[in-house]
Amino acid sequence: MSDWKGYVYNIAFFLNGLLVFLLFFESRFAVPQWMQALGRMHPLVLHFPLVVLILYSLWVMIVRKPDSHTWNEALADSLLVIGTVTAAVAAFSGFVLSHEEGYESDTLFWHKWLGIAISIAAVIWYGARKSLLPWTAGAKVVAGAFLVLLFVGGHLGGNLTHGEDFLISPLGPSGEPAQHVAFEEAKVYEHLVKPVIEQKCLSCHNEEKSKGGLQMQTQALLTKGGKGGVLWDTTKVDLGLLISRLHLPLDDKKHMPPRGKVQLTEEEVVLLAAWVKAGSRFDQLVSSLPPQNPIYSYAQNVLGGDRTEEQYTFSAASADEVQKLNTNYRLIKPLSAGSPALFVNFYNRANFKSQDIEGLMPLKDQIVSMDLSKMPVKDEDIKALAKFPELRRLILNFTDITGGNLTELKKLASLRELSLSGTGITMAHVKSLEGFPALRRVYLWSTGIGPQELETLKKGQKIAFETGFRSDTLVMALNPPVIINEKQLIGKGETVAMKHQIAGTVIRYTLDGSEPDSTSSPVYDKPIAINGNLKLKARAFRKGWYGSTQVSKLFFKEGIHVDSAQLITPVDQRYHAKGAASISDGKVGDTERVSGTWLGYVENDFQSYLFFKKPVKASVVTVSTLRSFGSFIFEPTRIEVWGGADPKTLKLLKVITPGVPAKDVPGTENIVYEAGFEPQQLSCIKLVAKPLNKIPAWHSGKGNKGWLFVDEVIVN
Amino acid sequence: MEKPIFDFGMNTTRRHFLSKLSLGVGSAALGSLLIPDLFKGGGGEPDVNELMAGLPHFAPKAKRVIYLFQNGAPSQLDLFDYKPMLNKMHGQDLPESIRGGQRLTGMTANQAKFPLAGSIFNFKQHGKSGAWMSELLPHMAGIADDLCIIKTLNTEAINHDPALTFFQTGAQVGNRPSFGAWLSYGLGSENQNLPGFCVLLSRGKGNGQGVYSKLWTNGFLDSVHQGVQFSSGENPVLYLNDPDGMDRTQRRKMLDNLAELNQGTFNDFGDPEITAKVQQYEMAFRMQTAVPEITDMSKEPESIVKMYGPECLVPGTYAANCLLARKLSEQGVRFVQLYHQGWDSHGGLPTEIKGQCMDVDQASAALVTDLKQRGLLDETLVIWGGEFGRTNYCQGTLTKDNYGRDHHPRAFTVWMAGGGVKPGIVYGETDEFGYNIVKDPVHVHDFHATILNQLGLDHEKLVYKHQGRRYRLTDVAGKLVKGIIA
Repeated sequence: MSDWKGYVYNIAFFLNGLLVFLLFFESRFAVPQWMQALGRMHPLVLHFPLVVLILYSLWVMIVRKPDSHTWNEALADSLLVIGTVTAAVAAFSGFVLSHEEGYESDTLFWHKWLGIAISIAAVIWYGARKSLLPWTAGAKVVAGAFLVLLFVGGHLGGNLTHGEDFLISPLGPSGEPAQHVAFEEAKVYEHLVKPVIEQKCLSCHNEEKSKGGLQMQTQALLTKGGKGGVLWDTTKVDLGLLISRLHLPLDDKKHMPPRGKVQLTEEEVVLLAAWVKAGSRFDQLVSSLPPQNPIYSYAQNVLGGDRTEEQYTFSAASADEVQKLNTNYRLIKPLSAGSPALFVNFYNRANFKSQDIEGLMPLKDQIVSMDLSKMPVKDEDIKALAKFPELRRLILNFTDITGGNLTELKKLASLRELSLSGTGITMAHVKSLEGFPALRRVYLWSTGIGPQELETLKKGQKIAFETGFRSDTLVMALNPPVIINEKQLIGKGETVAMKHQIAGTVIRYTLDGSEPDSTSSPVYDKPIAINGNLKLKARAFRKGWYGSTQVSKLFFKEGIHVDSAQLITPVDQRYHAKGAASISDGKVGDTERVSGTWLGYVENDFQSYLFFKKPVKASVVTVSTLRSFGSFIFEPTRIEVWGGADPKTLKLLKVITPGVPAKDVPGTENIVYEAGFEPQQLSCIKLVAKPLNKIPAWHSGKGNKGWLFVDEVIVN
Repeated sequence: MEKPIFDFGMNTTRRHFLSKLSLGVGSAALGSLLIPDLFKGGGGEPDVNELMAGLPHFAPKAKRVIYLFQNGAPSQLDLFDYKPMLNKMHGQDLPESIRGGQRLTGMTANQAKFPLAGSIFNFKQHGKSGAWMSELLPHMAGIADDLCIIKTLNTEAINHDPALTFFQTGAQVGNRPSFGAWLSYGLGSENQNLPGFCVLLSRGKGNGQGVYSKLWTNGFLDSVHQGVQFSSGENPVLYLNDPDGMDRTQRRKMLDNLAELNQGTFNDFGDPEITAKVQQYEMAFRMQTAVPEITDMSKEPESIVKMYGPECLVPGTYAANCLLARKLSEQGVRFVQLYHQGWDSHGGLPTEIKGQCMDVDQASAALVTDLKQRGLLDETLVIWGGEFGRTNYCQGTLTKDNYGRDHHPRAFTVWMAGGGVKPGIVYGETDEFGYNIVKDPVHVHDFHATILNQLGLDHEKLVYKHQGRRYRLTDVAGKLVKGIIA
């Protein structure tokens, strides 16, 4: 049973012999193809001897005396022989692996010879174990030496695979330096490309292990390329070696990083490709790229994204102090819970005094942002603002400043953003901003600076100028004027008023049904007196705008009071309004809603009586009807007005026969008929109106009966 | 076997116990060092309501929100989500494989066929991101580089009221605090002279759906967080003037005396609503001077009128509300909520949507541009969108130039601008029928979580304990949509 130890030991012995032999002829040794696989087993095998030999060495260290119950000879022998053979396999495979390209450095030298030493020493130890009993001092020394060899060799091996500072880098202060750079200062190579290379490429392409002859630590090394040549070639469709190998399918032998290593993310590949395509520049700023550039959006994700907060080095002010200086019109708050930085907003112009700025001095080392928009801030107040050294952002929109003293703010070493929209500053003041140390964004909308001058500013490199919307060249249509009167029945002495919301806009109108124009139609300047039934049409005009669309409304002169009305034919029950009373209720012309004020007829004619207690002198009867094609409502085909002293003695006074409407007239309209006749005394008027019998062929309801809607009858 | 265990027990001394204990405690202590948040939130369970000191949890990107709610659900397929496949298959039935068992509303459930309806409007790509937008939105197209267009919003509700309530309160049932109320609670008011949460209503000519005050309720939060609805007439805030014969000092005295009485009652009963009331009286007093400054449009330069369109001076219009929203937000109102009604185009969509777009396109774009030129877009998040989308198939009769669309909750488009979201991007993709999401879905809870994040709030930490349960705007869901955060 213990024979197996012998066999195993022999294998170890044999392997070590082979190893020593090959070491002698190392310069002439070429790894055969089939043996490469053996070499690559090195990472798999090496952990066995490491663990087993450490275990055995520790065991030897603690054994005190021969009869110690801690000593189990059979088990100890098994451990040592396993350690010996696995060490031999590991050493041999490591030797083969080291002959693959890309490993030539000091680290490798030491790792290799330590590995070989361990392997050979283990064999010797096993052979001499009987004479080197574990409770002797000599054994303890050997075990200690083994432990040192194993730890050092193992560590060197780890460095080879993962990189020199892999183990201790998380302890260092550097962390991920890219995270802390401000977006404006970030460089494409240094802060975006380099971290990717460091994380995903450097472990195989560094000083110690330069696979393919390529090292990637520095600009010079990257530009030099590897054995395969230079890394990029923008004249090629695939952008050269670096990018094309990233793009190869994962299964391809030439794909980088090799299968099994951490792969680049899709975004990182896009980043590298975009960088190479743009000429692989090493000094370019991210902020100089257009926002749609893939590098820019990558940078936004990596640098600007996800809760990266500016780190403030100053200490927080006392909460009491902040509380004390807060008023209803001056808000002071930390940027967020636990942040020492404060922002200040001012509200309500009427309550603002210059001292309100001075009053913040106790917090001058904490205030990073101040919003004074619309406050009556004067040029003198700028000096006070210059005393807040930590200001990053200052908003002075629509204040009373004119640009004087603006250079005082140059003292603010951190001022990044300055908003001057709606102030009186001029081009000369803007020029002086260029010397501000940290200024990056300036807002200049609605200032005294002309469009050409603003154009020249946009080319500036360091400061981005936001110039905003300009309306000078934009012409658009005005909205129509508003007719204020809601009632359409106008009594004696009442007038019709109009207005337009944009002050200073001219309203022109007509009363004769013609279209108002911008030159000849009368200008509305005071409420209009209405005499008779008429249609008011109005439009608005203003310099720099197109004239508005037309607004129109029918007005009726209030008629003679009707004492009672009676419907002769029944009204359709769906649209009955208030029955006969609706004819003379003063509600007229609502084309929006068909129910409530309109009487609807489809089967019957509209027929009704109007009675006057005392005879009235009348000469005209006005009938208001509705046209709404969509609802099958048409004008009447015939209107008859009868009059007399009572219903039995009526005479026909007037007949109107409107034609059938054509398709192209307005689809919804209030249509009014005036039936005039000889002036005469009347106590009773009978009105008849006939709905359309057959809807014309152009309408979707052709052939059916049309509806007739009547809402008011006015007698004058 | 018994004996050794007994012996062991007998031999375990106090010394053993203490030394083992110290090891145990030590390991727990080391463990706690490795999990920094362990004793912060969960462990001790301090009163969560107390924790909210009106400060963001971390440095915010945005301080304020203007939410341009397009009530009734605009058709994403006629505005943003360009699907030429629908034009190619115009009139053919929606494949069942695409519909995938999606429930239907009562309005189209009985339809025998679901004919696909391609948009009759022309689409073009705009901005450097090449975002597709239809000809109905020329002004929004002009600011494409400022917009973050999310094509893959999705919701759980299929009818207006629950969907709207879900968007506004994070739950489909009513009576939960509205989004704006949560913000007012979480961040406090910036300007003590104005409410932290204002609501402005307008309505277009298209088929409309109601909005109700439950959408801007404070729910179980203190009533100071309730949304204040502005009137759409000439005077946005009614009864602001002192009555004739009463001046500011008299009013002040009256309020002081009233506050004294209220304080007495509060001492007796301790009802927090009493203090809320006193605060509201005080704010109303200050609003008397603050509001006229805001609602006075006469000082707006003509370029602003041209930018928002002349309608912006007609009270009650969407354009006027956009302008007012800018002025309120500029003055520190945390959340300005607009609703524009009339997007529910079940029939006659081409005509209705044209009118709706005329109402909102210019003013929405102007609001973004206006904030930008004042340097405020960075800290103001503008959101534009409805409660769900509309179907790719026709409701009612499909003709060459007329169609209607029913409700579609599975995928619809919302855009955001400013407030630390990425400008000039299109996020998410729908399939070629515009029916299902194929990439990067954004659920309403995710949408809420992301907006809260932009405001410096962790949606999992913004909680309020009510009737024994801790509530969140995002309920028990929601994850950040990192892809849109700049």
